[in-house]
Parts: sequence; structure tokens; C-alpha cells
Amino acid sequence: MLFFKPLAGIIIVLALVMLQGCAFSRGTIGEDIRSESVAAIKKATTTKAEVLSLLGAPDRLLQVNGRDVFQYYRYDAKVGSLLLILINFSRLSIKSDDLFVILDREGIVEDVILSKRTDGLEFRFWPFGE
Amino acid sequence: MKLPLSGLCPILLSTVMCVTFAGCNVVRITLNTPLTQNDVAFIVPGQTTLADVITRLGTPDSITESYTGVVATYRFLDMKYSRVNFGWLLKPFSPIDSDLIISRTGLGTDAFELLCDSDWVVTHQSFLRHLSGPRFNPYPF
Repeated sequence: MLFFKPLAGIIIVLALVMLQGCAFSRGTIGEDIRSESVAAIKKATTTKAEVLSLLGAPDRLLQVNGRDVFQYYRYDAKVGSLLLILINFSRLSIKSDDLFVILDREGIVEDVILSKRTDGLEFRFWPFGE
Repeated sequence: MKLPLSGLCPILLSTVMCVTFAGCNVVRITLNTPLTQNDVAFIVPGQTTLADVITRLGTPDSITESYTGVVATYRFLDMKYSRVNFGWLLKPFSPIDSDLIISRTGLGTDAFELLCDSDWVVTHQSFLRHLSGPRFNPYPF
């Protein structure tokens, strides 16, 4: 046990000497897509006007298969940097939340597609591996 | 590409600023989760619907219309940057701030595209490019 204490001390001192600092940065584009608002949209019932009042104007308006598609998106970027004396490690991860609301020719919601990829986004320092 | 990169410029710039003051830098940027052939192996053209794909892979980054149907696109990027400043080794001994830098960036950008018919059934699927992942290698020559 006595052997491990000096070793642990040396490792901690070395780590403190080598470590210049850490940096955390975050950037987002767009408003958070609220799940409550999306849950309030019912297929074959909710109208275009109701969608607009719940979510606001879409980020993109598409015309697909003779239908209008409202697209809402939000981007989240997280950077973790580990600044050592000799080497710096940095990793920037960007993910998006996307919501597609498909409206039929009468302006009634036909389908709602939501995916929240930013929920699992973490600050990462290590650039190697996955 | 719909990603408004200009909005992310400050964060990219701060990242670059953070990492330019040491001898070596290793930086990686990932956009979305890169997809592999295994991730999309479940898609059977003529049977799988776009809804099935969305259940497994999430929503696509864009949906556009073509003459023969709808095109759904999943985009992803894996960028690796490494840099070595040999001049940094002379800093303790030299009165001047000398730099001898070599660096290299590998940009692995790809997209997975699905073509669906008017009933949202997948008829074709393909990766835009078949890139092998870039490596961390600062040697530029």
C-alpha cells in the first residue's frame, strides 16, 4: 500500500504539470423543438394554421409528392478541448434535431416525423476511436 | 447542404484558437453519426418504407422531390486534423518565436440517399461516396 501512495502522488503531480487547461464551448442554431408542441399535433385532424401557431413558421417549406412539408431543425455543437503542454486534444460534435410535418392537399396533417439526435450529445475530448 | 455553417463559425474559430498554442494538435469534428453499410443493411428496396427507415435511423437531413419520387438524404461528416509545430521545441532556447509547422486535414464527408416512390416505399438506396475514414497524419507531402 505504501508503494501506491507515492506513485499516485507522482501521477497527480505530473497530470497537473502537463495540464494547461480545459475548454468547453457550445453553439446552437435554431430554437428547441418542444416535444409537447409536437405531441399536440394529431394526424388527420390538426390543420396547417394550428401547426403554425404551435411551432411557428417552418425553417424550410418543401413540396414533396404533391404535399407541403414543413421542416423545423435545430443544431447543437459541443467542443471539448484538453490543453496539455506538448499536445492538445479537441473534439467538436455536431448533431441536429429535425421535425417534418407533412400536410395533404387540404392542409391537414398527414404525418409527423421527429428525431432528436441532440439528446445524446456529450462533450468529448478524445479524438480517437468512434 | 442545409446546415448554415456561418452560424457555427464562432465555435469553429474558438476551437482553432484553443488548439494553436501547443506543439501538437489533434482535432476531430463529427457531424451526425456516420452510417455504415451494416446500419443500412435492413433496407430492402421495394419493401422497406421511409417510415421503417426513420424508425431505425431517425429523420433524414433533407427531403427533396425528383421526377421519379422523393429523395431522402442523411448527411454526415468526419473530419480529422493534426498539426505539429517543430519550432515549439526551440521556444525555451530561442529569443524569437519560430514556427515550423506541418499539418494535414482529412475531410470524410458522405451522405446516404434513399429514393422513394409516391407511396413512400424505398426503391433505391446508395451512399453518395464510399469513403474510407480519414486518418490522423500530419505529414502533408
